[in-house]
Amino acid sequence: MEQAIRIENLSKKFGDFTAVNDINLEIHQGEFFSLLGPSGCGKTTLLRMLAGFEIPTSGQIKLDGEPVEKVPPHKRNVNMVFQSYALFEHLDVQDNIGFGLKRKKVAKGEIRQRVREALDLVDLGSRADARPNELSGGQRQRVALARALVNRPRVLLLDEPLGALDLKLRRQMQVELKAIQREVGITFVYVTHDQEEALSMSDRIAVMSDGRVIQCAAPEEVYEHPSEEFVAGFIGISNLLQGRAESKGRVRVGDSSLPVPDLDDSYSDGDPVQIAVRPEKVAVDEIDKDADRIRPGMFTVEGEIESMVYLGVGNQLTLKLGNGGRLVALEQATYRVQSHDQWKVGQKVKVGWHPEHCMVLR
Amino acid sequence: MNTASAFDKPRILRVFTGLVYLFLFVPIAVVVVFSFNSQKSLQVMDGLSFRWYEEFWNDPTLRDSLFISIEIALITMVVATVIGTALAIGLVRAHSGASRGANVLMLVPLITPEIVAGISALLIFSQLGIGLSFWTVVLAHITFSISYVTIVVRGRLASIGVEVEEAAQDLGASRWQSVRLVLFPALWPAVVAAGLLVFALSFDDFVLSFFTTGEQSQPLPVRIWSMIRFGVSPTINAIGTLMMVVSISAVALAVLIPRLFGRRESGVKVLTGAED
Repeated sequence: MEQAIRIENLSKKFGDFTAVNDINLEIHQGEFFSLLGPSGCGKTTLLRMLAGFEIPTSGQIKLDGEPVEKVPPHKRNVNMVFQSYALFEHLDVQDNIGFGLKRKKVAKGEIRQRVREALDLVDLGSRADARPNELSGGQRQRVALARALVNRPRVLLLDEPLGALDLKLRRQMQVELKAIQREVGITFVYVTHDQEEALSMSDRIAVMSDGRVIQCAAPEEVYEHPSEEFVAGFIGISNLLQGRAESKGRVRVGDSSLPVPDLDDSYSDGDPVQIAVRPEKVAVDEIDKDADRIRPGMFTVEGEIESMVYLGVGNQLTLKLGNGGRLVALEQATYRVQSHDQWKVGQKVKVGWHPEHCMVLR
Repeated sequence: MNTASAFDKPRILRVFTGLVYLFLFVPIAVVVVFSFNSQKSLQVMDGLSFRWYEEFWNDPTLRDSLFISIEIALITMVVATVIGTALAIGLVRAHSGASRGANVLMLVPLITPEIVAGISALLIFSQLGIGLSFWTVVLAHITFSISYVTIVVRGRLASIGVEVEEAAQDLGASRWQSVRLVLFPALWPAVVAAGLLVFALSFDDFVLSFFTTGEQSQPLPVRIWSMIRFGVSPTINAIGTLMMVVSISAVALAVLIPRLFGRRESGVKVLTGAED
């Protein structure tokens, strides 16, 4: 696949603080690439280096094979959507969008036409003459997007562009943003701390922590096979279990022996192993009745319901296992129809999961 | 509900507020009203006339002083606004350790007693062998005005944030273009407000002018002071009213100029912090 950006051994230090620590990444042409991590992990610094607002302490950034790390922002063929939108309040919507084209001395007629196309792309055709302060948050966001896209950059950089919107609008904009990206085919580099946003929109995700890329893979891979405890914990919640490798494919946790097909040959008997199970993969069933939630092939243990949180879409159960361990299970509301048909705290239950859903962390 | 609102805002507060405003404005109103008195009395109002205004206008030294004060205020306004704005941009945008110290130093001219500023200006001029004149007053006024401009403009700069300039550069504007095309259009209501504030401060300054002015070309406040040493004439009322008109005009311009260019926010909002 053709590369849009290649980052080699890139570091950025602010005084004694290392914001970005020796990062290597390749971002493909036309890809929706997310940088995901908690605040302070260096994702915004990395994005600002791609834009040209920060000069790297060491390493290289190649845009279409050309090193650009010392090229000033106004001469780089990338554009950025800012978290605060950074609209020009003294210009109306169409002059905001046409700002970049005007700087590049594009002919007036062409500017008008391309601004109109950009307005239509973000569905704001009717607000061309409005001032930014007359627009809603969602509309301002679209203007910021159109203002960047109209320049047809090689790469579009987005710094938490949906962070200021309310939840419902954010969901809607996620879908639209993805649709726009497919339509224009421009490479998107998207910074977010919202794991759900990254999972739903990205072709690939780089999970960052303390200035490093911990794992860089497709959303399914990052979710189903997190490489480290940090990734498993940051993307969704996970039940972490400490154990020791037993025979091949089995891990001893407490006094039970768990089947873990994921465990490869690099572990020898007695090695410490950290495994994780996603709460939504954990099935809970009544002990005396078989309600068919525990499926054949599942590993089962007995436990007791310690607490229960109602989430609307389902219940989050905290289970105390017979061997003293604790497990969180996320139960879909589809299972339970009647309100009296509820779990009770202290109730004995069967707990089970498919061995394939047991992830080994490094 | 009527009862509820009466309960929320006791009448005594309204009365009290009214008294405060009376206390503030009655002396000013007296000056304005008596400036139109046809008699020499400062106690009894006796028919309207422009007699004292004519007297003021026909006194060449007083009339010259009015124009000198306006000239000083205009030059001070232009020079202090340019220097103060540049300083504000430098202090806010340069993220160096030195800018923090400079930010604190900025406050010193504001809290220095004016009489100390006046005496030190006088000492410096005499040490350097510079004769007191129109220009020494201008220099002294500019020195203390820069802080006011910087503080007003700096507040506005901080609220604009650095991202709009970065956005302009990201869209192909050079550093200077981003200041000219994006930063300045967002900043100028504050610059206008600061300039007119400095005009008003310079125009009615007495202490600093008193120490730095020469025998010739005395600003109006200094001239008034030397005049009342020989007895109070109702001309004072006319001069006071005229000075008030000039100062109020400066404030009115701070409101109107941004409005004329289709800006919602006015300079007064910037000055009083009534912005969102």
